[in-house]
Parts: sequence; structure tokens; C-alpha cells
Amino acid sequence: MKQPCRLPSGGIVDRAQPLPFEFDGVAYEGLAGDTLAAALLANGKHLVGRGFKYHRPRGIAGAGVDEPNAFVRLGRDARTEPNVRATTQELFAGLEAASQNCWPSARLDIGAINGFVSRLIPAGFYYKTFMWPPTPKWWLRYERVIRHAAGVGRVPTLPDPDAYEHQYAHCDVLVVGAGPAGLAAARAAAHSGARVVLCDEDHVFGGGLLGVAATVDGAVAAEWIAATVAELADHPDVTLLRRTTAFGHYDGNLVGLVERVTDHLCAPPEWMPRQRLWKLRARTVVLATGAHERLIAYANNDLPGTMLAGAVRTYVERYAVRPGSRAVVFANNDRAYATALALHRAGVVVAAIVDPRAGPALDGALPHAARDAGLPLEFRDIAETDVRAADELWVTSSSKEVLAIVTLDGKPIGDGKPGPVFRRMYGLYQEFKRTVMRAGREKAAA
Amino acid sequence: MLLIPCPWCGPRNQIEFTCGGDATVPRPAPEAPEAEWMRYVYVRDNPMGPHVEWWLHGAGCRQWFKLNRDTRTHEILASAPPDAPPATEP
Repeated sequence: MKQPCRLPSGGIVDRAQPLPFEFDGVAYEGLAGDTLAAALLANGKHLVGRGFKYHRPRGIAGAGVDEPNAFVRLGRDARTEPNVRATTQELFAGLEAASQNCWPSARLDIGAINGFVSRLIPAGFYYKTFMWPPTPKWWLRYERVIRHAAGVGRVPTLPDPDAYEHQYAHCDVLVVGAGPAGLAAARAAAHSGARVVLCDEDHVFGGGLLGVAATVDGAVAAEWIAATVAELADHPDVTLLRRTTAFGHYDGNLVGLVERVTDHLCAPPEWMPRQRLWKLRARTVVLATGAHERLIAYANNDLPGTMLAGAVRTYVERYAVRPGSRAVVFANNDRAYATALALHRAGVVVAAIVDPRAGPALDGALPHAARDAGLPLEFRDIAETDVRAADELWVTSSSKEVLAIVTLDGKPIGDGKPGPVFRRMYGLYQEFKRTVMRAGREKAAA
Repeated sequence: MLLIPCPWCGPRNQIEFTCGGDATVPRPAPEAPEAEWMRYVYVRDNPMGPHVEWWLHGAGCRQWFKLNRDTRTHEILASAPPDAPPATEP
């Protein structure tokens, strides 16, 4: 197998369908179902470009549209497209991509010299510094070099050979995003008799559920997705738009969509538009877009090797790619542990899980007072139903001290009056203030 | 882009319409003094909130009508034919 970092099993890639592609002139092989980024990682290729200013090496950090680093140039001649995210570009046989902002190559880059003189190029360094000496002759001399270094990517110089389409449409419900929430929303809307449009920027529906070992309504995730999509596809009033990004939500629920019709084809048929712009007027818009992670700030977090935890999990579970051999997982939310487990299953050594979150705040004044008074105390995650069924609810904070909530969403909590446990707790806290917090002051006054 | 309910054609895209300005200024009698005509032609309020305007459905039924639009939120509160009493919802 030519793909050294591909896992032997798992993922939703088609191992029977290898796709040859080229990156920086070198031939590689990916699988059907890959993005360009997944295929590069499967080949152990992490360095995909250079930064704009200091030409620092850039790797793949994300697995979707939130990718900040892996911008590549796609295609050649008139069909050159600069600044394509490797993480969103679907792989096809014969794809040609190249790294940007580097010369002669991403590995050996002349512009990286800027990194060594970075102390001389402060933030906000401005090209007009080169206006001196103030004669046009000197500026023209600098300009040739500066223009060469400026900008990210290169635009093609030939006319665009492709055609583009506009499409107006109306619907009752537009669902943006076809993860589990979006699919369920689209199905519920279709059952109600509404005209539904479901769009997702990916080439398959399923979103965060793709490749994940989970169950939905008692069914295995992949089967649930397939059944739901099949049901929606059969429905006469449902339009499914794959490879379609909703980019704007305007007055009166007008939504702009761009459908990439042929960007995943090596040789698109002449009659097909390359992209289609939808101006969709929806009665209701459901945003089921999911969430993005953000990179943690630390030194050198821009270099290859730093990846978002959710993206790592996507590469392992959806694309069956091992994005490294040894990992440290930084967990600022519980889902990072799923990443650690996925890495472990993929044979990656998880050297450490760093979780900076404090444990449950059990040592505040109120918990202490409650525990001293023998009140049973438990810290745990609670469901919304627990909150609504509670006999008493309080807000506690340093300015509110302890405050009973008597109505929630217009409904009374308990009997609609501060409850007995609240009164006891309130008394305990006043006692605490008097005896502990003001103790020093009374001493000073005395 | 607003979705404007034409009293005759139903909800249509804003691009089919042209705004004709304030519909709350009463037209003075022909023999009214010049100052009153001056006020009618040139002086306009710039209200913040619901505001009744003239709109022309130029790319549709080509009729003028009155539209009550919230100038802060673009929310459209009501529309009515020109001879209807001014649509002044809160």
C-alpha cells in the first residue's frame, strides 16, 4: 500500500477505488471519499505551504472550512484556483495541487529568510518604507521584488473557461447542515408537508456523524444516515443540495447558497456549470451548522503538527488516517477524550492528555457552609428536565450571594416562593458572612 | 432583500418594487399658501420605527400601494391599497 499512514480498516473511504493525484509535482495516491488534506496526511505529508510573512512552514490544522493554514493552489492553466482549502477540496483522480507562498518548494523556501530577520520586520511593517530614497527610480527597483513577495496565492492569467449559473428558488423550510440535527430537522419538516431544501457543504450527508461509532434511534449511525437520506431523496417536496455552502442570511430569510457543481470532477462536461448561485427565499431557516473549534494560543502553534482535536478525530474515524505517531491531547472540553480514544485505537501513542480545567468548584463558601451543616451535596451535570422538575432553584455568585428563583419561563418553581432549603442556606450564608468574613473587621473596630 | 407583500400580487422580492417615500404627508389644497406647499414638497420626517411609505410594484402589477415598514428593523407590518385608510399598526 502506497499510503503509509492509512489505517487498514475503518473510515468511510473506498479502499477499492484508489485515486492518483499530484502535489507539488510528486505523484501520490488517495482513496475515493478523501479530501485533499486527508489524502496528503495518508501519505504522511504534513507540510503543505508557507506562511505569508515569515514563510513559516504550514501544515493541516483542521478538517473543514475552519482550516486556517492549508491553502493550496489547485489545477493548472486557466483552471487554476488559488487559496483552496485542502481540507474542503474533494479528492478526484488526476487532481493537481501545489503549495503556495514558497519558492522553489515548501521544503526549501528562499522566503523563509524573512524568519531569520524577523526582528527587523516589526508587526505592521509597511511596504512604503521602501519609498526611500524618494525617487521613482528606486521605488521601481524595489517594487519588482515586493510585488513578487506580496499576496497569498497567484491568480490565473488566462480567461475563465467555465460557465456559472444563477438560480432563484422558494421553500418552506431551509435546513443548513446535514449532520444528525439537520437530517432529523429536514425529515420532521418533510413529514409536516413542508417544501424542504437541505444543503450541506460536504459531498456526503451525515456531518459529524460520519465514521463515528454511534447509534441514532437505535440504529448504527451509518445506517441511520443512509435510511434518512434515502427517505428524503424519495420525498417529492425535498431538494437535497450536496457540496453547497450557505454563505449569507439576508432580510426576509433570503439565503445565498453556492453549489460547487463540477469542482470535484477532473474533466467536467462542457454543458455543466462550474458553480451555481442559489438565491433561496425560505419561510423558515434551520441552522444546523454545528460548531467550530478554535486553536489554543501557545508558541509555535502555527507549525505543522498542531491540529484541532475534532479534526484529528475526523481524520482517524472518517478518513481512516493516522495523522501522527505520538500525540499530546489538550482537552478544554469533554469531546477531546473521544479524540484521545480514537488516536489510541488507531495505534497512535497518546503521550499525555492535558486538561487545564479545574475540578468541580467544591470549595466555595456556600459548599463549605452546606457541608458543615450536613446538607447533602452533589456536583454533577444536570439535564434541562431536572431543572424544570426541581423543587428549588438558586443562583449563587459573589454579588448575588444566594438568590432563590421562583419562576422559570413563566412557570413557578415549587410553590412559587423561596423554599425551606433556600431559607436555611441563606441563613447559613449570612452567619458565614458575620462570623468569618467580617471577623477581622470587628476585631479591628474593637 | 425585503419580502414585500403587494396587496394585489402577494409577497414578492424587493427588486420588483420602487419606494416612493413618505405616505403620511397630506397633499394641500391647490389654493393653499406657498409655505404649506413648500412643507408638502420638501419637509420630511425621518422617523425611527413604524413608518407608512408609498411603494410601486413596477415589475409586477404596476400599482402604487402603502406599506408600513419599521425603519429600524426592516420588519414589514402591513400593506394596503392607496385608498385604504393609512395602515398604522403599532
